[in-house]
Amino acid sequence: MATTRLRPRSPDIQIYRPQLTSVLSILHRITGVLLSVGSVLLVAWLVAVADGGDAYAMADRWLHSWVGMLLLLGWIFALFYHLCNGIRHLAWDLDFGFELGSIYRSGWTVVAVSVILTLLTWTLGLAGGE
Amino acid sequence: MSEWHRRDPLNRNPASARASALYRAIGLGSAKSGAHHWWLQRMTAVALVPLLLWLVVSLLAHARGGHQAVALWLGRPAVAVTMAVLLVALFWHMKLGLRVIVEDYVHADRVKFAALAAVDLVCVALMAIGVFTSLYLAFR
Amino acid sequence: MLIKSSKQVSRWRNPKRFPVSRNSGASPASRIEAGVTWPEPEGATRVQHLQVYRYDPDSGRNPRIDTYAIDRDKCGPMLLDALIKIKNEIDPTLTFRRSCREGVCGSCAMNIDGSNWLACIRSLDEINEPATVYPLNNMDVVKDLVGDQTHALAQYTSIKPWLRSKTPAPTRERLQSPEERKRLDGDYECILCFCCTSGCPSHWWNGDRFLGPAVLLQAHRWLVDSRDEATGERLDELEDPFKLYRCHTILNCTRTCPKGLNPGKKIAEVKLMIQQRRS
Repeated sequence: MATTRLRPRSPDIQIYRPQLTSVLSILHRITGVLLSVGSVLLVAWLVAVADGGDAYAMADRWLHSWVGMLLLLGWIFALFYHLCNGIRHLAWDLDFGFELGSIYRSGWTVVAVSVILTLLTWTLGLAGGE
Repeated sequence: MSEWHRRDPLNRNPASARASALYRAIGLGSAKSGAHHWWLQRMTAVALVPLLLWLVVSLLAHARGGHQAVALWLGRPAVAVTMAVLLVALFWHMKLGLRVIVEDYVHADRVKFAALAAVDLVCVALMAIGVFTSLYLAFR
Repeated sequence: MLIKSSKQVSRWRNPKRFPVSRNSGASPASRIEAGVTWPEPEGATRVQHLQVYRYDPDSGRNPRIDTYAIDRDKCGPMLLDALIKIKNEIDPTLTFRRSCREGVCGSCAMNIDGSNWLACIRSLDEINEPATVYPLNNMDVVKDLVGDQTHALAQYTSIKPWLRSKTPAPTRERLQSPEERKRLDGDYECILCFCCTSGCPSHWWNGDRFLGPAVLLQAHRWLVDSRDEATGERLDELEDPFKLYRCHTILNCTRTCPKGLNPGKKIAEVKLMIQQRRS
């Protein structure tokens, strides 16, 4: 019996199991977008420095607010994660570390190192700040 | 679930019965490009590794000192030039990366071309503002 | 946890899915509805439940999820045995592809517990309770677990997967040294089951233009063949922002390949070959 009805499409992301491979990949992309937003603020900060004391004081106040601090923590993590995972990608581009065991080992290493670097930077920043 | 299987390769008309599976798989053929984008993405990434580490360490050292300390630090020519190089690599990398994201998820031609143009223009504008500002801080 | 081989099933039961509801983004015809729960086997001590994607094109109804219960003590060891048991004893309308039942033909590729594998070599000991069984992702469903592979095979045809030589055909075989033959290892074993391509997020979003890991691995197979004389043309045909460079090295392909191959690595090697001839 011929039907004109469209065939259904089988589900993909709705049912596919999250694995380290795909989760770290989408995290790379999300941190990349976060950093894009952050880089706009880096430029704004530079402009504030050039503009003088008042503009800088305003930017500084905003950065030290509750929201500013939270965003800063997010950006620091995004930066280190994107950096570490970027190095992992560069190694793959040179055809290194493609065995499944290496993929998982380097993946977990990237997560651990970026968390450690984030905490380290945060502690150092707070220790000297205020 | 993306509905790409119902799109014509030209992305304009709904797929017609005339379009064979092979016609649709070949699409518009190879653009014979992509390698340049790939290479630049990697090169800017390599440049950004030391530059960003420098930025983090420098900000930790100078940002706590208030406006005067920061202006003094950014006022040094070597710092200003390094910052300018960093911003060029950063926004170039950002432009290439955001382009891929748009191409991945936006499929309506008009919206896609508009988004790609916006990405390019915004990145170039930010790069120009940032580079000009950092050089201004040292060489005014 | 550390995965060393694509054979390994993750010990972690969660998360089972990305935070996306089962029907999000689905076209009206693709929305999955609640299905039938079939009766439990009588007197069974070890019961395995299977939640299976069902679609009958003649019913005019949407796809649904049916739940079957299997007596493990009266069933063979593999998931394919369970599916055959369902078809023989419970519900003869259940439709799926199968042939060799030993992992060399690639017919029974399906999505088992959220990742792609061959039903004939997936032990019932390794699946969840209840386990989910779906057709390969992102394909038009012909019936139940049978996906339409027309597009995937057309993409395969588009790379011209045959020997292209310009020197006149010799009167005897085209010889290869053992070293030259060795370069095909890791490529020639591919059985075109499309577990990798249908598990690749990049192919989900742009499968009309991105060739996908299975076809690119096959493209690599012809690029490194010492007898093929169209390497340059092949690279020309591949160098495209979508056909090749939509690969973002997500590596779901390498994670899922039931033959233990490494499509991700082969695609990286193709990108390096293109770089090589540019500089």
